[in-house]
Amino acid sequence: MNQDLLIPYSHQSSPVHCAPPVLKLAGAVIFVFAVVLVPRTAWIAYAAAGASLAALAVLSRVPPLYLAKRLLMVEPFALGVALLALLQKNGVGIFAAMLAKSTLCISAMVLLTTTTRFSDLLRALWRARVPALLVTTLALMHRYLFLLFDEMGRMFRARKSRSFSGNRFSAWRSSATVLALLFVRSSERAERVYAAMCARGWKT
Amino acid sequence: MRAGVEDVNALTIERLGYRYPDGTEALREVSLALEEGERVGVIGPNGAGKSTLLLHLNGLLPEHPPPSPSVRVFGTPVAEPHLKKIRARVGLLFQDPDDQLFCPTVFEDVAFGPQQWGIAGKELEARVARALEQVGLQGFEERLPHHLSRGEKRRVCLAGLLACDARLLALDEPTSDLDPRGRRELKELLRNLPIAQIIATHDLELVVEVCSRAVVLDQGAVVAAGPTVEILNNEALMLAHGLERPHVLRHLHPH
Repeated sequence: MNQDLLIPYSHQSSPVHCAPPVLKLAGAVIFVFAVVLVPRTAWIAYAAAGASLAALAVLSRVPPLYLAKRLLMVEPFALGVALLALLQKNGVGIFAAMLAKSTLCISAMVLLTTTTRFSDLLRALWRARVPALLVTTLALMHRYLFLLFDEMGRMFRARKSRSFSGNRFSAWRSSATVLALLFVRSSERAERVYAAMCARGWKT
Repeated sequence: MRAGVEDVNALTIERLGYRYPDGTEALREVSLALEEGERVGVIGPNGAGKSTLLLHLNGLLPEHPPPSPSVRVFGTPVAEPHLKKIRARVGLLFQDPDDQLFCPTVFEDVAFGPQQWGIAGKELEARVARALEQVGLQGFEERLPHHLSRGEKRRVCLAGLLACDARLLALDEPTSDLDPRGRRELKELLRNLPIAQIIATHDLELVVEVCSRAVVLDQGAVVAAGPTVEILNNEALMLAHGLERPHVLRHLHPH
Protein backbone atom coordinates (compact mmCIF):
# COMPACT_ATOMS: atom_id res chain seq x y z
CA MET A 1 0.00 0.00 0.00
CA ASN A 2 1.09 3.58 -0.51
CA GLN A 3 2.54 4.18 2.92
CA ASP A 4 2.33 7.91 2.55
CA LEU A 5 -1.35 7.77 1.71
CA LEU A 6 -2.15 10.49 4.19
CA ILE A 7 0.93 12.67 3.97
CA PRO A 8 2.75 12.30 0.65
CA TYR A 9 3.98 15.90 0.62
CA SER A 10 5.03 16.26 4.26
CA HIS A 11 8.74 15.67 3.62
CA GLN A 12 9.45 18.50 1.19
CA SER A 13 11.65 21.47 1.93
CA SER A 14 9.70 24.63 1.11
CA PRO A 15 9.77 27.56 3.59
CA VAL A 16 6.37 26.43 4.88
CA HIS A 17 7.64 22.89 5.47
CA CYS A 18 10.76 24.13 7.24
CA ALA A 19 9.02 26.53 9.65
CA PRO A 20 9.13 25.29 13.27
CA PRO A 21 6.18 22.92 13.90
CA VAL A 22 5.21 24.67 17.13
CA LEU A 23 4.95 27.97 15.24
CA LYS A 24 2.80 26.40 12.54
CA LEU A 25 0.56 24.72 15.09
CA ALA A 26 0.12 27.97 17.03
CA GLY A 27 -0.54 29.85 13.79
CA ALA A 28 -3.18 27.36 12.69
CA VAL A 29 -4.96 27.42 16.05
CA ILE A 30 -4.95 31.23 16.19
CA PHE A 31 -6.22 31.32 12.59
CA VAL A 32 -9.11 28.99 13.45
CA PHE A 33 -10.09 31.04 16.50
CA ALA A 34 -9.87 34.29 14.55
CA VAL A 35 -12.06 32.94 11.74
CA VAL A 36 -14.63 31.66 14.22
CA LEU A 37 -14.75 34.99 16.09
CA VAL A 38 -14.99 37.25 13.01
CA PRO A 39 -18.52 38.79 12.68
CA ARG A 40 -20.81 36.74 10.49
CA THR A 41 -21.11 39.28 7.68
CA ALA A 42 -17.47 40.41 7.51
CA TRP A 43 -16.96 39.04 4.03
CA ILE A 44 -13.79 41.04 3.48
CA ALA A 45 -12.18 39.31 6.48
CA TYR A 46 -13.10 35.94 5.00
CA ALA A 47 -11.53 36.92 1.70
CA ALA A 48 -8.36 38.13 3.43
CA ALA A 49 -8.06 34.92 5.43
CA GLY A 50 -8.63 32.85 2.30
CA ALA A 51 -6.04 34.87 0.37
CA SER A 52 -3.40 34.43 3.05
CA LEU A 53 -4.01 30.67 3.13
CA ALA A 54 -3.76 30.56 -0.66
CA ALA A 55 -0.46 32.45 -0.51
CA LEU A 56 0.93 29.95 2.00
CA ALA A 57 -0.29 27.09 -0.18
CA VAL A 58 1.55 28.51 -3.19
CA LEU A 59 4.65 29.03 -1.07
CA SER A 60 4.53 25.38 0.11
CA ARG A 61 4.64 24.14 -3.51
CA VAL A 62 2.13 21.37 -2.72
CA PRO A 63 0.00 20.64 -5.82
CA PRO A 64 -3.26 22.62 -5.40
CA LEU A 65 -5.28 19.71 -6.74
CA TYR A 66 -4.04 17.53 -3.89
CA LEU A 67 -5.00 20.16 -1.30
CA ALA A 68 -8.42 20.52 -2.93
CA LYS A 69 -8.96 16.74 -2.81
CA ARG A 70 -8.17 16.59 0.88
CA LEU A 71 -10.45 19.54 1.51
CA LEU A 72 -13.26 17.84 -0.38
CA MET A 73 -12.87 14.70 1.75
CA VAL A 74 -13.81 16.63 4.90
CA GLU A 75 -16.17 19.18 3.33
CA PRO A 76 -19.32 16.96 3.31
CA PHE A 77 -19.34 16.98 7.13
CA ALA A 78 -19.16 20.78 7.27
CA LEU A 79 -21.78 21.02 4.54
CA GLY A 80 -24.08 18.67 6.42
CA VAL A 81 -24.02 20.86 9.52
CA ALA A 82 -24.34 24.09 7.53
CA LEU A 83 -27.39 22.74 5.66
CA LEU A 84 -29.32 22.64 8.93
CA ALA A 85 -29.02 26.44 9.06
CA LEU A 86 -31.21 26.70 5.95
CA LEU A 87 -34.17 25.55 8.03
CA GLN A 88 -34.32 28.80 10.02
CA LYS A 89 -35.33 32.35 9.13
CA ASN A 90 -32.65 34.27 7.15
CA GLY A 91 -31.02 30.87 6.78
CA VAL A 92 -29.18 31.56 3.54
CA GLY A 93 -26.83 34.15 5.06
CA ILE A 94 -26.09 31.96 8.07
CA PHE A 95 -25.57 28.98 5.77
CA ALA A 96 -23.07 30.88 3.61
CA ALA A 97 -21.16 32.19 6.64
CA MET A 98 -20.99 28.77 8.28
CA LEU A 99 -19.80 27.19 5.09
CA ALA A 100 -17.15 29.88 4.55
CA LYS A 101 -15.90 29.68 8.14
CA SER A 102 -15.70 25.90 8.24
CA THR A 103 -14.04 25.73 4.81
CA LEU A 104 -11.39 28.21 5.95
CA CYS A 105 -10.73 26.31 9.18
CA ILE A 106 -10.52 22.95 7.40
CA SER A 107 -8.20 24.42 4.77
CA ALA A 108 -5.87 25.71 7.46
CA MET A 109 -5.73 22.26 9.04
CA VAL A 110 -5.24 20.56 5.67
CA LEU A 111 -2.33 22.88 4.96
CA LEU A 112 -0.84 22.31 8.42
CA THR A 113 -1.01 18.51 8.20
CA THR A 114 0.20 18.44 4.61
CA THR A 115 3.31 20.47 5.32
CA THR A 116 4.27 19.00 8.71
CA ARG A 117 5.47 15.49 9.49
CA PHE A 118 3.01 13.84 11.83
CA SER A 119 5.73 12.98 14.34
CA ASP A 120 6.77 16.66 14.45
CA LEU A 121 3.16 17.67 14.94
CA LEU A 122 2.87 15.24 17.88
CA ARG A 123 6.02 16.69 19.44
CA ALA A 124 4.57 20.19 19.00
CA LEU A 125 1.31 19.11 20.68
CA TRP A 126 3.36 17.58 23.49
CA ARG A 127 5.34 20.78 23.99
CA ALA A 128 2.13 22.80 23.90
CA ARG A 129 1.07 20.79 26.99
CA VAL A 130 -1.82 19.05 25.28
CA PRO A 131 -2.89 16.24 27.68
CA ALA A 132 -0.51 13.25 27.37
CA LEU A 133 -3.35 10.77 27.01
CA LEU A 134 -4.61 12.56 23.90
CA VAL A 135 -1.15 12.83 22.30
CA THR A 136 -0.41 9.16 23.03
CA THR A 137 -3.74 8.11 21.56
CA LEU A 138 -3.06 10.13 18.41
CA ALA A 139 0.45 8.70 18.14
CA LEU A 140 -0.75 5.10 18.46
CA MET A 141 -3.59 5.73 16.02
CA HIS A 142 -1.21 7.11 13.42
CA ARG A 143 1.28 4.28 14.02
CA TYR A 144 -1.27 1.50 13.54
CA LEU A 145 -3.54 3.07 10.94
CA PHE A 146 -1.35 1.86 8.07
CA LEU A 147 -1.08 -1.64 9.49
CA LEU A 148 -4.83 -1.75 9.90
CA PHE A 149 -5.38 -0.63 6.30
CA ASP A 150 -2.91 -3.26 5.08
CA GLU A 151 -4.57 -5.96 7.13
CA MET A 152 -8.00 -4.96 5.88
CA GLY A 153 -6.74 -5.00 2.28
CA ARG A 154 -5.32 -8.49 2.68
CA MET A 155 -8.49 -9.81 4.28
CA PHE A 156 -10.75 -8.36 1.59
CA ARG A 157 -8.51 -9.79 -1.10
CA ALA A 158 -8.56 -13.22 0.52
CA ARG A 159 -12.37 -12.99 0.70
CA LYS A 160 -12.59 -11.98 -2.90
CA SER A 161 -10.44 -14.87 -4.10
CA ARG A 162 -12.91 -17.31 -2.59
CA SER A 163 -16.25 -15.68 -3.34
CA PHE A 164 -17.94 -16.49 -6.62
CA SER A 165 -21.52 -15.32 -6.30
CA GLY A 166 -22.26 -11.83 -7.50
CA ASN A 167 -25.04 -11.65 -4.98
CA ARG A 168 -25.00 -8.28 -3.27
CA PHE A 169 -26.48 -9.63 -0.06
CA SER A 170 -23.70 -12.18 0.36
CA ALA A 171 -21.11 -9.53 -0.45
CA TRP A 172 -22.46 -7.35 2.36
CA ARG A 173 -22.46 -10.30 4.69
CA SER A 174 -18.87 -11.19 3.93
CA SER A 175 -17.80 -7.57 4.38
CA ALA A 176 -19.46 -7.57 7.77
CA THR A 177 -17.52 -10.71 8.69
CA VAL A 178 -14.24 -9.18 7.59
CA LEU A 179 -14.90 -6.04 9.63
CA ALA A 180 -15.83 -8.08 12.71
CA LEU A 181 -12.67 -10.15 12.35
CA LEU A 182 -10.63 -6.99 11.88
CA PHE A 183 -12.03 -5.68 15.14
CA VAL A 184 -11.11 -8.88 16.99
CA ARG A 185 -7.60 -8.90 15.52
CA SER A 186 -7.08 -5.25 16.39
CA SER A 187 -8.06 -5.77 19.99
CA GLU A 188 -5.70 -8.74 20.18
CA ARG A 189 -2.94 -6.59 18.75
CA ALA A 190 -3.73 -3.89 21.30
CA GLU A 191 -3.14 -6.47 24.03
CA ARG A 192 0.22 -7.47 22.55
CA VAL A 193 1.28 -3.84 22.14
CA TYR A 194 0.38 -3.21 25.77
CA ALA A 195 2.45 -6.23 26.83
CA ALA A 196 5.38 -4.91 24.78
CA MET A 197 5.03 -1.52 26.50
CA CYS A 198 5.02 -3.16 29.94
CA ALA A 199 8.05 -5.24 28.98
CA ARG A 200 10.00 -2.02 28.59
CA GLY A 201 9.03 -0.62 31.94
CA TRP A 202 5.68 1.09 31.24
CA LYS A 203 3.76 1.57 34.52
CA THR A 204 5.76 -0.74 36.75
CA MET B 1 31.93 -17.64 41.81
CA ARG B 2 32.28 -15.24 44.71
CA ALA B 3 31.98 -16.61 48.22
CA GLY B 4 28.56 -16.11 49.74
CA VAL B 5 26.85 -15.53 46.41
CA GLU B 6 24.79 -18.58 45.60
CA ASP B 7 23.35 -17.66 42.29
CA VAL B 8 25.12 -15.55 39.68
CA ASN B 9 23.41 -17.21 36.75
CA ALA B 10 21.87 -14.85 34.22
CA LEU B 11 18.71 -16.92 34.50
CA THR B 12 17.55 -19.68 36.79
CA ILE B 13 14.17 -21.35 36.34
CA GLU B 14 13.19 -24.01 38.85
CA ARG B 15 10.19 -26.24 38.26
CA LEU B 16 8.09 -23.52 36.69
CA GLY B 17 4.47 -24.43 36.05
CA TYR B 18 1.72 -22.35 34.51
CA ARG B 19 -1.96 -22.78 33.65
CA TYR B 20 -3.83 -20.33 31.50
CA PRO B 21 -6.96 -18.89 33.13
CA ASP B 22 -9.08 -21.28 31.04
CA GLY B 23 -7.31 -24.23 32.70
CA THR B 24 -5.01 -25.23 29.81
CA GLU B 25 -1.71 -26.40 31.20
CA ALA B 26 0.99 -24.45 29.34
CA LEU B 27 4.16 -25.18 31.34
CA ARG B 28 5.02 -28.20 33.46
CA GLU B 29 7.97 -28.27 35.86
CA VAL B 30 10.27 -26.41 33.50
CA SER B 31 13.81 -26.03 34.85
CA LEU B 32 16.53 -24.18 33.03
CA ALA B 33 19.68 -22.19 33.78
CA LEU B 34 21.67 -19.74 31.72
CA GLU B 35 25.14 -18.47 32.55
CA GLU B 36 26.17 -14.93 31.84
CA GLY B 37 26.93 -14.47 28.14
CA GLU B 38 25.51 -17.89 27.22
CA ARG B 39 23.13 -18.43 24.29
CA VAL B 40 20.50 -21.15 24.54
CA GLY B 41 17.92 -22.16 21.95
CA VAL B 42 14.47 -23.29 23.07
CA ILE B 43 12.95 -25.39 20.30
CA GLY B 44 9.74 -27.32 19.96
CA PRO B 45 6.57 -27.59 17.90
CA ASN B 46 3.89 -24.90 17.69
CA GLY B 47 2.03 -24.56 20.96
CA ALA B 48 4.82 -26.18 23.00
CA GLY B 49 4.84 -23.25 25.41
CA LYS B 50 7.92 -21.41 24.14
CA SER B 51 6.35 -17.94 24.04
CA THR B 52 4.58 -18.54 27.34
CA LEU B 53 7.94 -19.41 28.90
CA LEU B 54 9.53 -16.18 27.64
CA LEU B 55 6.68 -14.07 29.05
CA HIS B 56 7.59 -15.41 32.50
CA LEU B 57 11.12 -14.05 32.33
CA ASN B 58 10.13 -10.46 33.09
CA GLY B 59 6.93 -11.05 34.99
CA LEU B 60 4.36 -10.42 32.24
CA LEU B 61 3.07 -13.86 33.23
CA PRO B 62 1.66 -15.11 35.54
CA GLU B 63 -0.96 -12.39 35.91
CA HIS B 64 -0.26 -12.20 39.65
CA PRO B 65 3.41 -13.11 40.27
CA PRO B 66 3.73 -15.09 43.52
CA PRO B 67 6.07 -13.66 46.18
CA SER B 68 8.49 -16.59 45.78
CA PRO B 69 8.59 -17.23 42.03
CA SER B 70 10.33 -20.04 40.16
CA VAL B 71 12.24 -17.58 37.97
CA ARG B 72 15.29 -15.59 39.05
CA VAL B 73 17.29 -13.20 36.88
CA PHE B 74 20.86 -12.52 38.06
CA GLY B 75 19.74 -13.85 41.42
CA THR B 76 16.78 -11.46 41.72
CA PRO B 77 13.36 -13.12 41.98
CA VAL B 78 10.93 -12.05 39.23
CA ALA B 79 8.30 -10.57 41.56
CA GLU B 80 7.29 -7.31 43.16
CA PRO B 81 9.04 -5.11 44.24
CA HIS B 82 11.80 -6.00 41.76
CA LEU B 83 9.74 -5.92 38.55
CA LYS B 84 10.93 -2.52 37.42
CA LYS B 85 14.57 -3.55 37.74
CA ILE B 86 13.86 -6.93 36.14
CA ARG B 87 12.20 -5.34 33.12
CA ALA B 88 15.27 -3.21 32.47
CA ARG B 89 17.54 -6.25 32.70
CA VAL B 90 15.46 -8.64 30.65
CA GLY B 91 14.94 -7.52 27.07
CA LEU B 92 11.94 -9.28 25.55
CA LEU B 93 11.81 -9.33 21.75
CA PHE B 94 8.26 -10.00 20.57
CA GLN B 95 7.42 -12.14 17.60
CA ASP B 96 5.77 -9.38 15.55
CA PRO B 97 8.01 -6.29 15.43
CA ASP B 98 4.95 -4.15 14.71
CA ASP B 99 3.64 -4.98 18.18
CA GLN B 100 6.85 -3.74 19.68
CA LEU B 101 7.45 -0.59 17.60
CA PHE B 102 4.61 1.54 18.82
CA CYS B 103 6.16 5.02 18.67
CA PRO B 104 5.97 7.52 15.78
CA THR B 105 9.73 7.57 15.07
CA VAL B 106 12.67 5.21 15.57
CA PHE B 107 14.26 7.61 18.06
CA GLU B 108 11.20 7.76 20.26
CA ASP B 109 10.84 4.00 20.15
CA VAL B 110 14.40 3.23 21.17
CA ALA B 111 14.14 5.96 23.82
CA PHE B 112 10.91 4.55 25.28
CA GLY B 113 12.56 2.10 27.68
CA PRO B 114 15.24 4.42 29.11
CA GLN B 115 12.61 7.16 29.52
CA GLN B 116 10.62 4.87 31.81
CA TRP B 117 13.61 4.96 34.13
CA GLY B 118 13.79 8.74 34.01
CA ILE B 119 16.67 9.12 31.58
CA ALA B 120 16.41 12.29 29.49
CA GLY B 121 18.29 14.92 27.52
CA LYS B 122 21.83 14.36 26.30
CA GLU B 123 22.24 11.03 28.08
CA LEU B 124 19.08 9.72 26.41
CA GLU B 125 20.30 10.81 22.98
CA ALA B 126 23.67 9.19 23.58
CA ARG B 127 22.05 5.94 24.68
CA VAL B 128 19.78 5.81 21.64
CA ALA B 129 22.68 6.54 19.30
CA ARG B 130 24.80 3.85 20.94
CA ALA B 131 22.03 1.25 20.80
CA LEU B 132 21.34 2.00 17.12
CA GLU B 133 25.03 1.71 16.38
CA GLN B 134 25.17 -1.68 18.12
CA VAL B 135 22.55 -3.02 15.71
CA GLY B 136 24.13 -1.33 12.69
CA LEU B 137 21.48 1.34 12.14
CA GLN B 138 23.42 4.55 12.77
CA GLY B 139 21.47 7.66 11.82
CA PHE B 140 18.05 5.97 11.71
CA GLU B 141 16.68 8.20 14.51
CA GLU B 142 14.20 10.18 12.42
CA ARG B 143 12.97 7.25 10.30
CA LEU B 144 9.35 6.15 10.63
CA PRO B 145 8.66 2.54 11.68
CA HIS B 146 6.29 1.81 8.79
CA HIS B 147 8.99 2.77 6.28
CA LEU B 148 11.45 0.13 7.52
CA SER B 149 12.05 -3.35 6.14
CA ARG B 150 11.23 -6.36 8.30
CA GLY B 151 14.87 -6.92 9.16
CA GLU B 152 15.36 -3.26 10.07
CA LYS B 153 12.25 -3.35 12.27
CA ARG B 154 13.66 -6.35 14.14
CA ARG B 155 16.93 -4.54 14.67
CA VAL B 156 15.22 -1.38 15.91
CA CYS B 157 13.33 -3.57 18.40
CA LEU B 158 16.66 -5.00 19.55
CA ALA B 159 18.11 -1.49 19.87
CA GLY B 160 15.13 -0.61 22.08
CA LEU B 161 16.12 -3.44 24.40
CA LEU B 162 19.84 -2.64 24.35
CA ALA B 163 19.06 0.99 25.21
CA CYS B 164 17.54 -0.30 28.48
CA ASP B 165 20.92 -1.91 29.27
CA ALA B 166 19.36 -5.36 29.04
CA ARG B 167 21.68 -8.11 30.29
CA LEU B 168 19.49 -11.02 29.27
CA LEU B 169 17.69 -11.12 25.93
CA ALA B 170 14.61 -13.30 25.49
CA LEU B 171 13.92 -13.56 21.77
CA ASP B 172 10.67 -14.98 20.38
CA GLU B 173 11.11 -16.29 16.82
CA PRO B 174 13.63 -13.57 15.92
CA THR B 175 14.14 -14.82 12.34
CA SER B 176 10.55 -15.63 11.41
CA ASP B 177 9.51 -13.96 8.13
CA LEU B 178 12.94 -12.47 7.45
CA ASP B 179 14.50 -12.92 4.02
CA PRO B 180 17.87 -14.73 3.83
CA ARG B 181 19.83 -11.50 4.05
CA GLY B 182 17.85 -10.26 7.06
CA ARG B 183 18.33 -13.67 8.65
CA ARG B 184 22.08 -13.68 8.07
CA GLU B 185 22.51 -10.16 9.42
CA LEU B 186 20.46 -10.92 12.51
CA LYS B 187 22.44 -14.11 13.26
CA GLU B 188 25.69 -12.17 12.90
CA LEU B 189 24.35 -9.52 15.26
CA LEU B 190 23.20 -12.01 17.91
CA ARG B 191 26.52 -13.88 17.79
CA ASN B 192 28.41 -10.66 18.46
CA LEU B 193 26.29 -9.40 21.36
CA PRO B 194 28.06 -10.27 24.62
CA ILE B 195 24.75 -10.73 26.44
CA ALA B 196 23.02 -13.90 27.63
CA GLN B 197 20.30 -14.91 25.18
CA ILE B 198 17.42 -17.33 25.29
CA ILE B 199 16.00 -17.84 21.82
CA ALA B 200 12.64 -19.53 21.18
CA THR B 201 12.45 -20.62 17.56
CA HIS B 202 11.72 -23.19 14.86
CA ASP B 203 14.71 -21.95 12.89
CA LEU B 204 17.05 -24.83 13.67
CA GLU B 205 19.88 -23.40 11.61
CA LEU B 206 19.75 -20.32 13.79
CA VAL B 207 20.15 -22.55 16.85
CA VAL B 208 23.05 -24.44 15.28
CA GLU B 209 24.85 -21.26 14.30
CA VAL B 210 24.15 -19.09 17.34
CA CYS B 211 23.42 -21.25 20.40
CA SER B 212 25.82 -23.47 22.32
CA ARG B 213 22.98 -25.35 24.04
CA ALA B 214 19.50 -26.41 22.99
CA VAL B 215 16.42 -27.24 25.03
CA VAL B 216 13.51 -29.16 23.50
CA LEU B 217 10.13 -28.14 24.85
CA ASP B 218 6.98 -30.10 24.04
CA GLN B 219 3.53 -29.85 25.62
CA GLY B 220 4.91 -27.48 28.21
CA ALA B 221 7.68 -29.76 29.48
CA VAL B 222 11.43 -29.97 28.87
CA VAL B 223 11.97 -33.29 27.05
CA ALA B 224 15.68 -32.91 26.27
CA ALA B 225 18.54 -30.49 26.89
CA GLY B 226 22.20 -30.48 26.00
CA PRO B 227 24.86 -29.25 23.59
CA THR B 228 23.23 -28.00 20.38
CA VAL B 229 24.84 -30.42 17.94
CA GLU B 230 24.16 -33.43 20.15
CA ILE B 231 20.47 -32.59 20.54
CA LEU B 232 19.78 -31.53 16.96
CA ASN B 233 21.65 -34.53 15.52
CA ASN B 234 19.32 -36.92 17.34
CA GLU B 235 16.96 -37.63 14.46
CA ALA B 236 14.53 -39.78 16.49
CA LEU B 237 14.22 -37.08 19.15
CA MET B 238 13.73 -34.33 16.57
CA LEU B 239 11.01 -36.20 14.66
CA ALA B 240 9.19 -37.22 17.85
CA HIS B 241 8.71 -33.55 18.72
CA GLY B 242 7.67 -32.07 15.41
CA LEU B 243 11.20 -30.96 14.45
CA GLU B 244 13.82 -32.29 12.06
CA ARG B 245 17.54 -32.75 11.85
CA PRO B 246 18.73 -29.54 10.18
CA HIS B 247 20.48 -29.75 6.82
CA VAL B 248 23.60 -27.96 8.03
CA LEU B 249 24.25 -30.82 10.44
CA ARG B 250 23.87 -33.51 7.78
CA HIS B 251 27.03 -32.19 6.18
CA LEU B 252 29.01 -31.90 9.39
CA HIS B 253 31.05 -34.75 10.82
CA PRO B 254 31.34 -34.28 14.56
CA HIS B 255 34.11 -36.81 15.14
